[in-house]
Amino acid sequence: MMNRQELYVCRTMAGILLLSFLIATYYTGFDPMAVLLHLGEAWTFLTEDFLPPRFQFTPVILESLAVTVALAISSASVAAVLAAGAAVLGSELLSPSKALAAAVRGTATFLRNIPTLVWAFILFSSLGVGTGVGFTALVITSFAFMTRTFIEVIDEIPAGVVESLTAVGASFWERIFQCVFPSCITGFISWYLYCLEVNIRSSTIVGMVGGGGIGMVLLSYLKAFKYAEASGIILMIAVIVILVDRLTDFLRKKAAE
Amino acid sequence: MQEPLLRFDDVSKVYRNGVQGLSHVSFSVEAGEFVAVIGPSGAGKSTLLRSINRLQDITSGRVLIRGEDISRESGRKLRAMRAGIGMIFQNYNLVYRLSVMQNVLHGRLGYMSSWRGMLGLYSEEDREKAAALLEEIQMGDFLNARAADLSGGQKQRVGIARAFMQEPELLLCDEPIASLDPSSAKIIMDMLSAMTKRRHMACLVNLHQIDAAKTYAGRIIGLRRGTVVFDGPPEALTDAAVETIYGVPASELAMKECVS
Ligand SMILES: Nc1ncnc2c1ncn2[C@@H]1O[C@H](COP(=O)(O)OP(=O)(O)OP(=O)(O)O)[C@@H](O)[C@H]1O
Ligand SMILES: [Mg+2]
Repeated sequence: MMNRQELYVCRTMAGILLLSFLIATYYTGFDPMAVLLHLGEAWTFLTEDFLPPRFQFTPVILESLAVTVALAISSASVAAVLAAGAAVLGSELLSPSKALAAAVRGTATFLRNIPTLVWAFILFSSLGVGTGVGFTALVITSFAFMTRTFIEVIDEIPAGVVESLTAVGASFWERIFQCVFPSCITGFISWYLYCLEVNIRSSTIVGMVGGGGIGMVLLSYLKAFKYAEASGIILMIAVIVILVDRLTDFLRKKAAE
Repeated sequence: MQEPLLRFDDVSKVYRNGVQGLSHVSFSVEAGEFVAVIGPSGAGKSTLLRSINRLQDITSGRVLIRGEDISRESGRKLRAMRAGIGMIFQNYNLVYRLSVMQNVLHGRLGYMSSWRGMLGLYSEEDREKAAALLEEIQMGDFLNARAADLSGGQKQRVGIARAFMQEPELLLCDEPIASLDPSSAKIIMDMLSAMTKRRHMACLVNLHQIDAAKTYAGRIIGLRRGTVVFDGPPEALTDAAVETIYGVPASELAMKECVS
């Protein structure tokens, strides 16, 4: 049984939800009825134009798939190395200065809160399109994300462990490489693998807006109304995403041992 | 006159929150002495030990190691002075993902060039010494075990080996047996006592247990509210002296220990 207060909270929440829905519908001119009416059309479009998918294994498609995967892996890897360094400076426990630690954390939070796609657009408009720019956009968000998570991993080192190396007379770098990194490596790997999963998805999307790879190819098929080929590519992307998820799950378990 | 191994000269420590950790502490320790530091919780035992190897800065006074004031050193010189002082902790503080051997070798980091230490490039001599030390503390079969997989008593023995790897003149032990069961505690105290004696090493041990202090120490320092209120041989630690240190009669203290 809910008590009075819980009931009150539930009602208020439901009220706020309904109200925001109404306001949002009004402002965006979104018509729920229109969606229902067009559902049939959308269904025909999907079943007749996209199905059955047509799989093509042309060099262009295979190569762009490889480019997208490579983009995800390389951006996550470069970002991980940079983030490991930044996390050391951003952790209260290790940073040479408290102000520096706060600055690193603030910068990482700021960078992370801007989506990869937005970075891609900003960079494309200043540097032009290409895989290099897509790579940079992915590195920025991956770096920011891993800096934050790596700092959390470092903060979980039991108190006193790093201090015990200070006590033997170890230098800053000895403490980092002999204590911090060995203690954190599993946590780092686990977050790196997560970032890899995210990047496989993001690199496709970044590709669509100009970052090269399979996203670009997919977009060209869509623009040419070749929907059957496009759905073939979409399914290939899905297979790769699933494979990468499986693989990272496996590696994560391995690393935890 | 030769300078003693360790000398506290009117040392005070006030924490940033205003708590007085130490107040005008003066005493000295000679090579080979085994000193127990006792006192109620919050008396300043850890503060005392941690100001010797500068894990904490003192507010005023001097902490002299063989006549050199460690509270004024920094950088390479401070590292070198720390390398000559071993420390053992209540919570062992090992790098748990690394092997027993690697943890023991950490004792050499203070003597190596920073990049060799970073990469863990220890000399063959150091490796042999580490193996011999592990043999001495009866951990020879655990060379390649991961530190995380050991029992509490075994972890503390690795902590001891790491400290002895430094070949220190002075050993600091902050409640080395507080997390251990009575039989492991006895093994650890016996080892500390025998190993420091064999090497004529000075040792300062913070202890909660008065009877352990009386059994092992050649000298007891009693702290209360940051001040040294007792300094003498175990025989001089009368019930009255215990009462001045702990603020409660010795009989009540014994009862409390039984209950806890
Ligand atoms: N980092 C710190 N900041 C502020 N106050 C501290 C800090 N460390 C210790 N203190 C305070 O200083 C006093 C002495 O602490 P210390 O840890 O030296 O006592 P102790 O004798 O080791 O106690 P215990 O037996 O509980 O370990 C205590 O009142 C404690 O609360
Ligand atoms: Mg203490």
